[in-house]
Amino acid sequence: MSLRSLNLPGLGTKYEFETDKGDTVAIFFTKTGTIQMYTLQKGCKTPSAAEMTMVEARRLGNILTGAIIEADQESVEIAFSALADLRVTIHSFLIPKGISGKTIEDLQIRAKTGATVIAVCRHDRNIINPPPAFVFETGDAALVIGESDQIRMFEREIMVD
Amino acid sequence: MEGIVLALFVCLLLVLLTKYLSVPAIPFYILAGVLLGSAGLGLVTSDEISRFLSGLGLIFLLFFMGLGLKPERIAANRSAVLTSGFIDLNVNMIIGFVGAYLLGFSVSESLIVASAFYISSTAMAITSLIENRKLMLREAETVIWLMVFEDLVLIIFLALISAGDQNLIIFLIKILGVLAVLYALAHYGKEFLISILDRDDELPIIFTFVAVLTTASVSMYLGIPETMMVIALGVAFATTDPDAFEQHARPFKDVFLVVFFVFFGATIDFSGGVNWFMITIICLLAIISKLISGVLTGIFIHGSALSGLEIWGNTIGRGEFSIAIAVLYGSPLIGTTIAAMVIVTSIIGSFTAKYSTSLRRGITHLGRKKSPSHRVHPGR
Repeated sequence: MSLRSLNLPGLGTKYEFETDKGDTVAIFFTKTGTIQMYTLQKGCKTPSAAEMTMVEARRLGNILTGAIIEADQESVEIAFSALADLRVTIHSFLIPKGISGKTIEDLQIRAKTGATVIAVCRHDRNIINPPPAFVFETGDAALVIGESDQIRMFEREIMVD
Repeated sequence: MEGIVLALFVCLLLVLLTKYLSVPAIPFYILAGVLLGSAGLGLVTSDEISRFLSGLGLIFLLFFMGLGLKPERIAANRSAVLTSGFIDLNVNMIIGFVGAYLLGFSVSESLIVASAFYISSTAMAITSLIENRKLMLREAETVIWLMVFEDLVLIIFLALISAGDQNLIIFLIKILGVLAVLYALAHYGKEFLISILDRDDELPIIFTFVAVLTTASVSMYLGIPETMMVIALGVAFATTDPDAFEQHARPFKDVFLVVFFVFFGATIDFSGGVNWFMITIICLLAIISKLISGVLTGIFIHGSALSGLEIWGNTIGRGEFSIAIAVLYGSPLIGTTIAAMVIVTSIIGSFTAKYSTSLRRGITHLGRKKSPSHRVHPGR
């Protein structure tokens, strides 16, 4: 797979790569703010295209990275190929009744799972890096970062309480 | 003043309509101008204010064009830009010039008609590539570089034609002086410019507006073409943060350019009679000559005349730059001719851009049917 990126004056940026099987995928970030994705099957002459908004493209990107996407819980996996293929997952969880009223310290999240709560969204306000004494409430959405195993552990150990 | 408001209101409706039909808006702005202006109902007349706003539209169009020209990128794609660019330039300039001359224009008038005839609309070409989902075609890149080459030719043309009767050496020294100042500003003031653009108050947008207007008025004061200098300003600023400048200049460009097109239409005057024969010939030539240059480019760059058909389909539309040339240098007769050419070619161009792929397929298909024994080369 060889990735080629190109700046087209007046139009935007083009990313194109050929898969090992000979199909071609091209993505254009146009100056109008939309994103067009073309796929061209090997041996075929006319590509097929889809136009997406920024949000739609991001969703597609999440699906392609193998993240789980549900209606209200979303996760993104980021891979850093330069850092020995380090993979970090960020997952959002809705706080259930069982743990409302408890603090991050009470739940021993780090000790039990290794994952970290990096943000909590409460009534459309975001609290970044909540302190250990932070008290969860029902309806909060917590953003948790860690390796995929740690996230799974978090789901099993913490979310059931 | 009421005229401008009325014209802008009509254009607002036209934007809605043309976006809905996905056809270019420029020909409709001009037609609206003709209908409302001195040739039509006489509701919209050009005055001091409209001329000033139209002027702003033109300089912001050119500033915007400059922002998109990145010299180092052009240098990196030199061979592709040059081959297609020279074919396009020679074929269309020669056909346009000879055609205009034979139709009775003088040599200098023919040169102006030929330049407007040569230069395709960058806005229309790029919009049609995006809207018709053609970005992945290999011809799309050729079309984009063609537009860049045409922009470069326009800069040279603006310089040559404004030099006119001045002392050439003093003229050149003045131009080089301003260019050096602009370059120094962008080079040594880069950090400062970026720090201004990073602010989220009203400063970046005011700065952009003032920078463009200052460059234009200083150039006028020095007697050098302000059109060329605002392009140069764009090129210089493109080395800092072109996206931010585009974002701040876009509102000015979008609004004032509409005023520019409408009032171009409004000042068209049919009182001297309209030479329909001449207009028809120029329009036909405009379509045919782009076909010839397109097919030649297709053969030289992609090894296929059918590729040329795709290039042709997306570059027929003449637009903003042709009108700019007509406004800057044209007589009323040239203005009417170029207006008609822009209207006809841009409308036809929007259809050829939409259907060029089917046209291509139809021709390939027809070729196969006619000669069943002859196999068409695969992949070509």
